[in-house]
Amino acid sequence: MVEPFFDYQFRLILIGDSTVGKSSLLKYFTDGKFAEVSDPTVGVDFFARFIEIKGNKRIKLQLWDTAGQERFRSITKSYYRNSVGALLVYDICNRASFEHIPRWMMEARRHIEPHQPVFVLVGCKLDLAQRGRREISSEEAKAFAEQHGMFTTETSAKTGLHVEEAFNAITQEIYSRIQSGEYKLEEGWDGIKAGFVRPNSNLDLHLIEAEPAKSPCC
Amino acid sequence: MFRNRNWFNRNLWKPKNVHSLDHLKYLYTILSKNQNVSDGNRGLLVETLRSIAEILIWGDQNDSSVFDFFLEKNMLSFFLKILKQKCGSYVCVQLLQTLNILFENIRNETSLYYLLSNNHVNSIIVHKFDFSDEEVMAYYISFLKTLSLKLNCHTIHFFYNEHTNDFPLYTEAIKFFNHSESMVRIAVRTLTLNVYKVDDKSMLQFIRNKTAAPYFSNLVWFIGNHVLEIDACICKDVNQLSGQTRLSDLIAEHLDHLHYLNDILCLHIEDLNVVLIEHLLKKLLIPMYIMSLIPRNNLIFSEQNEKQSLISTALSLFLLSQVFLIIKERQLVHTLANILLKGESDFIFETEQNLRITNNILINKNEELENELMVYTENSEFLENPLAVFLRKKNSINFDKNESVCHSFATSTYSINITDEEKEQRLAQDTQIQTGSFLQAIFENLHCRENDYSVLFALCLLHAISSNSGIGKSLLDTFIFSSGSEYKTKYSVQLIENLIQITSISCQAGCRVRLLTLELTIALIKKLVLIDGKSILLDEHYAAIIGVKEESTSLLRSFYKNEDIFLDMFEDEYYDMKKRSLNIEWLMMDCNLLLQPTNSPMTGVEFSKRLPCGEVERVRRAIRVFLLIRELVLSLSHETESQLPLTDRNTCISIGTSLDLNNSDLITCTVLSKDGNKTRRFLAMDSNQLILVEPHSRLLGWGVTKLAGFLQDIEVTGDKEESKCLHVIIHHTNTGSAYSAKFLFDDHIRCMAAKQKLIKGRAKARKKKMMQIAKLLDIPVSNQPSSSSLLPYNLFTNRHQPISSLLYSSCKQSQPSKIISNFVYSLKPQYTLNIKIVTDNVSETYKNTPSTSCESSSRVIDNSLNTEEIPLVNLSYKIEENIPPKSDKDETTTLNDGDFLHKINNINVSENSVEDDITDKVWELSSGNFPGGSVVITLERRSGSRWKEEWTIQYCAKFQVVRTSFVFFIELQKQRVVIKFFVKSGVKTAEIIPKLRAVFQDDCQSSTRIYE
Repeated sequence: MVEPFFDYQFRLILIGDSTVGKSSLLKYFTDGKFAEVSDPTVGVDFFARFIEIKGNKRIKLQLWDTAGQERFRSITKSYYRNSVGALLVYDICNRASFEHIPRWMMEARRHIEPHQPVFVLVGCKLDLAQRGRREISSEEAKAFAEQHGMFTTETSAKTGLHVEEAFNAITQEIYSRIQSGEYKLEEGWDGIKAGFVRPNSNLDLHLIEAEPAKSPCC
Repeated sequence: MFRNRNWFNRNLWKPKNVHSLDHLKYLYTILSKNQNVSDGNRGLLVETLRSIAEILIWGDQNDSSVFDFFLEKNMLSFFLKILKQKCGSYVCVQLLQTLNILFENIRNETSLYYLLSNNHVNSIIVHKFDFSDEEVMAYYISFLKTLSLKLNCHTIHFFYNEHTNDFPLYTEAIKFFNHSESMVRIAVRTLTLNVYKVDDKSMLQFIRNKTAAPYFSNLVWFIGNHVLEIDACICKDVNQLSGQTRLSDLIAEHLDHLHYLNDILCLHIEDLNVVLIEHLLKKLLIPMYIMSLIPRNNLIFSEQNEKQSLISTALSLFLLSQVFLIIKERQLVHTLANILLKGESDFIFETEQNLRITNNILINKNEELENELMVYTENSEFLENPLAVFLRKKNSINFDKNESVCHSFATSTYSINITDEEKEQRLAQDTQIQTGSFLQAIFENLHCRENDYSVLFALCLLHAISSNSGIGKSLLDTFIFSSGSEYKTKYSVQLIENLIQITSISCQAGCRVRLLTLELTIALIKKLVLIDGKSILLDEHYAAIIGVKEESTSLLRSFYKNEDIFLDMFEDEYYDMKKRSLNIEWLMMDCNLLLQPTNSPMTGVEFSKRLPCGEVERVRRAIRVFLLIRELVLSLSHETESQLPLTDRNTCISIGTSLDLNNSDLITCTVLSKDGNKTRRFLAMDSNQLILVEPHSRLLGWGVTKLAGFLQDIEVTGDKEESKCLHVIIHHTNTGSAYSAKFLFDDHIRCMAAKQKLIKGRAKARKKKMMQIAKLLDIPVSNQPSSSSLLPYNLFTNRHQPISSLLYSSCKQSQPSKIISNFVYSLKPQYTLNIKIVTDNVSETYKNTPSTSCESSSRVIDNSLNTEEIPLVNLSYKIEENIPPKSDKDETTTLNDGDFLHKINNINVSENSVEDDITDKVWELSSGNFPGGSVVITLERRSGSRWKEEWTIQYCAKFQVVRTSFVFFIELQKQRVVIKFFVKSGVKTAEIIPKLRAVFQDDCQSSTRIYE
């Protein structure tokens, strides 16, 4: 039995200031690669990956990468509605990007309404921070996350450190909220969708998955 | 994870349902298996791309998982990969079409934004397609156009990159603004407008700084070239059809340009408009259009080639009127109108410079970019201009295609620095042209020389200027609506005189003024002098127009014939005139106007736009001229039409009307219609109509109309085989359609009676109408006592009759002489006057006459007697001395024993006028009834001087008073009538008297005419 390939499909959105490293984070997560040079995102970008969480549940993640630039703000707004969770991304070496997190959170909350989004706070560029350019301490980030009841981690898209963990955490949280009945499948809302179960599964094609990154921490 | 490869293959079965996610998956497999385009898979790929568009659109509206799949598989990247291969136009076209369909139809904004994201679209836009392939070009440009339709202040960021300062959608598109294919040009225009519409500051800044000057100057240069082409096309005598088609295409294209310019201007983007207007004025409108108005020999050219950018005066008038008809943007039209109307020499100086620049450009147009750059850098020290950098960059990419863009650089040197010495030098060289010389040139073109070719355009231009809402009212008031100084009129005296001149010329037999020109002239006169329906025309001009009316009447009189066709034509022209309304904008689209006026109907030119050909058309023309001028006079004198149409169709009997037919002649008949139906009807007639009735269901002796047709249009023929039968054809029934039937009567006698009645009725109806026309034309009708009601002697009924007809018929009745001298006198309109008549001798014969006219006369006398006692100021004028000894032979002197027509215009009846009722009525003192008396024209004042005038009247007198104007004429008889004018107290009579005197002595406007 090949089908179903997954139990649930979650749609997530990555938000945060321009140049904090959203696209690199996502690229590492879906591709396992790090690009030394990358152009700023124009508008939005899309990726998908399967992930396995506790209890042998296979989840398909649909990930919207968004441009952090102000001029695309009106465009990216329309991607909130169908998202169940948001990764709040900041640059560990850039204080301003961290200080803007509450604003991003507010915006996401406002646009994801009436649904209650799951947030995780993701610090990027840990590799640079380790070379002494850190502006946000882990403690400060943790304090903020605790205050808002969210998971937080510091990642490096270059080394892949904690990347998997960040996505795992948000997926796990969403899944447990489904288990607890807080989230329900809704017609016309693409935040959470049931897995592809078809009686005549032969007609379905393989979904070519992105290879899970070989994260050193997993 | 297991992956069964065999299973994969099994899935290549095409799903039955093409609108399903499965189908997209199937298409995806095809795409992924055919990533390299080869001859073998081209057809398959095209079909796949086509289907993908279809299913994505379906999914967009029905199943979000379809687009999810498209996203997950990043299928857009396949498209880009295919495009990057040299895949040939076949695949390219399909790819562009697929993208076009996607962008056009996808409603889900998240999907649309995804497609627009990350510069994929921009890379497609800048992709070097093979534009020599027509199909690729067409799909490419429509793809761009579709994208431009998706532009708004959010999506603009996908296309316009602030950081790299690049906007490929716009910059790539404008490269094709001058493409040979008109669809491409139109698409580019639409696209640019869509771009300008987006209210994004930095984008507009980009357009303003980087592209506006080259693009607009390029555009203007292109239009200018186009205009030169039109000019060349006109100069060559285009008699061949191909030449006409070419001209028509050129004009249509030019109109498109103007509309495009107007569309841009109407967006009110200040930054862009400033650049555009500057280019338009300095490169096109002034050097090419306005300068061409000045006769060539008045211009001195410092360089020979300056002449080359001039076009024919008529064309420049035509083009300028198009500009004013289409463009309403205040800044441009006001500036342009300002130059045209004021024509300051400063402006001309600048113009001369621009003339030179434009010409340089025209000459150099075939030279290479580098050369031009040299020329212009020398002239203007231009190198540092960012435009140059921008354009060079552009041009280096695609030199061949960008010849026009290169060129635009050349034309964009609008900021040429000329030193002051140079300026002075040139000023000395250049001809000094008087202020207002352009307006003078326009007026100059109002004179008909060989024909009315340029007259028409000058009229159009004046019309367009005066109707353009963008031009400041005060400017118009100064130059068109007012002459300013001495007359203190509210319109331009020079203009109105020119216009009256045109109307006058068009009343001459064999003149070369087209009906259209006359119609436009009349429209313009009305526009100038009618304010809220009231005329502000000076009396002398009004008199001149009355004179023109006489001329038009006389012209038509010479064609008047008692023939059926004349009546039919007359009525046809009348209804045609009523039906058509003048639309100048529409008119100016007709390229036929640019050809020399023709008279041959074989050119396909409408009758009103050409000269008459043959006798019949000349008659038609005369009728139309008469009707047009008559209408003008009526509206100027604020009167309503009472004599036309000849039959008021509204008062005619129509189908279903119940009629009391007691004591009417009725003939029973059976109507056999064409389809074989037999119906029993009764035939009745009134003066105009043939009526078929059936008995009324309730009222005895009444009938219900079943058919009504005009007697004048019937044809009756007997049946050769059956003597009880008549064939009747009615060309115009009340319902409008023709009717034809066979009428079967009870016997031969009844049939004959009916036939006779119908034929007689027809003749009578026509005769009646012909008499009405004759009356309109002041032609004497044979005096029939029985038809006296048709003659203009009824009290009240002839109120709106032209004076001249009154004049003529009454003259005819008394048969005094062969000559009627016809004068129009005018009084200034400022004074309130009343008229009273006093006869000094109310004779017995007068009162005994039993006719209606006698009653009216006696009323006059009563009135006048009542008012005798108010002597104010008497203004008199001796007429006796002008009356020569009676002589029938003396036919040419202006003051003769004939009639005097007096017209006093615009007299406001004062509220406290003694006899209100006489001011709005017509009295008539017919021949033989009037006991004798004198006409005394007096202007009276409560105290002081008195100027009294007595006229001895010899035959009869008739006058007319209407509320706004006072008209009377006197026919000399051996009777006397006294007429008094009263002036409202408080008016400065010291001014009135010299004016009246001037008017009475010098203002003979119309010429003597001889009636035989």
